[in-house]
Amino acid sequence: MNRSIVHYQSVLSTLKIYNYPLFFQSTRKYPATPKRFYRKVDVISNGNNSYEITLDKKKVKTPGGNVLKLYNETLAFAIATEWDAQKDIIQRSSMHLTALCNTVIDNPNKTDKHSLITNLLNFLDTDTVLYYSDEDNELYKLQLKEWMPILDWFNEKFQTNINPVRGISFSCCSEDVKQIFEHYLNSYSFPCLHGLTLAVENLKSIILSVCCLNQKISIEKAVLLSRLEEEYQTENWGRIEWSHDLNLVDLQSRVSAALTFIHLNSEFNVVKTM
Amino acid sequence: MMSQTNAFFVIRQLLSELRKITPTQKLKHSIIVPHILNQCRKYKVTDAQLCKKRGEMIFLVNTYRCYLESTRRYKELLEKYHSKGERSIEQTADMVGFKLPHDPK
Repeated sequence: MNRSIVHYQSVLSTLKIYNYPLFFQSTRKYPATPKRFYRKVDVISNGNNSYEITLDKKKVKTPGGNVLKLYNETLAFAIATEWDAQKDIIQRSSMHLTALCNTVIDNPNKTDKHSLITNLLNFLDTDTVLYYSDEDNELYKLQLKEWMPILDWFNEKFQTNINPVRGISFSCCSEDVKQIFEHYLNSYSFPCLHGLTLAVENLKSIILSVCCLNQKISIEKAVLLSRLEEEYQTENWGRIEWSHDLNLVDLQSRVSAALTFIHLNSEFNVVKTM
Repeated sequence: MMSQTNAFFVIRQLLSELRKITPTQKLKHSIIVPHILNQCRKYKVTDAQLCKKRGEMIFLVNTYRCYLESTRRYKELLEKYHSKGERSIEQTADMVGFKLPHDPK
C-alpha cells in the first residue's frame, strides 16, 4: 500500500505535475474585485434630455464599450448614487440598476421587443400563483387566502378567466388571454420590457409583477407572495438567516430595482401652468 | 391629509437609507438628495403624476427605499456569513443561540 503511494508520487514528480498548484489545491480562484479608484461621482447633462455618469470626470461605460447614456434625470442620479455607495471595492454584482441599464444599452442577447414579449407570455402558463399545493391542506388554505385576491384582480383588469390548478396538472392559458395580454405588453417600451423580464424571472410570476407594476401591492408583499411556500415551511421548521433571509433580501433588491427602472423609464413630465 | 403624512414618512425612510450608504454617512454629501427633494416638492400638490394615479410618487419612493434597504441588508448578511473560514466554538454556539458550559447564564 505504502509502496504504491511512493511510486505514484515519484511518477508525478518526474512528470512535473506534482508542482502544479491546481492539482492538489482545490480552492477556487476568483478575479480580484476592483478597488474604488475614483473619488467624486457626478451626473452631467448634455442637452436634449440625456444624462451621463462621470467618475472623477471620466465617463462610465458599459461592458460593451458604449457610453452609459440615460434619458431620465432621476434614474441617472440613482445610478450615480449606486456608484457612490461602493465604499472600498466595487461590487458590481450588487448594482442591479446599473446592470439593467447596461443590458438595455448593450443588448447582449440581441433581443427585440417582439421576442421579449413572447418570452414574457410563456410565463403565463407556469405562473407561481396558479399552482396550489395538494399535499398540505394548511398551505392550500394559506395560498387560497393570499393568492386568490391577486388572481381575481388580474382577471378583472384584463377581462380574462385564468383558473388556478391543484397538484401537478398543467394550467394552460387560452390564445385569447395571451392576445389580450400581448396587447397590454406592447404598450411598454423596450427598456421597460427588459425591466419587466428581470422582475418576472425573479418573482417567477408575471401576474405578481403586473400587480406590482399597477401599484396594487408593494415589493415586499410581492416577494412574500412569491416565496409563500418557503415562508410557510420556515415557520414550521425554523429559519436560517444565511439562507432564507439572504435569499429574501436578494430577491427584494432585484425586483425593486426592476420596478424602479420601469417607473422611471415610463415617466415623462409635462408641466401645465394655469 | 392622510396621504401627506404618509408621504412625509416614506421620504424620511428613504433619506435614512441614503444616509447609510453615503460614504461619509452625511446626507449633505449624497448627490441624489437635492434632486429627490426637488422632485418631491414638484409633486407636493398632487402626488399623482400626470394625473394617472394617486400615490404614484409615494410608490416610487417606497420602491426605491426598498431597493436601497434590501441591497444594504444583503451586503451586511454576506459580510457576516460568507467565506469566513472555520468558526471557533464560541462563535458557533453564539450563532445558534447556545451558551458554553462556563459562560454565565
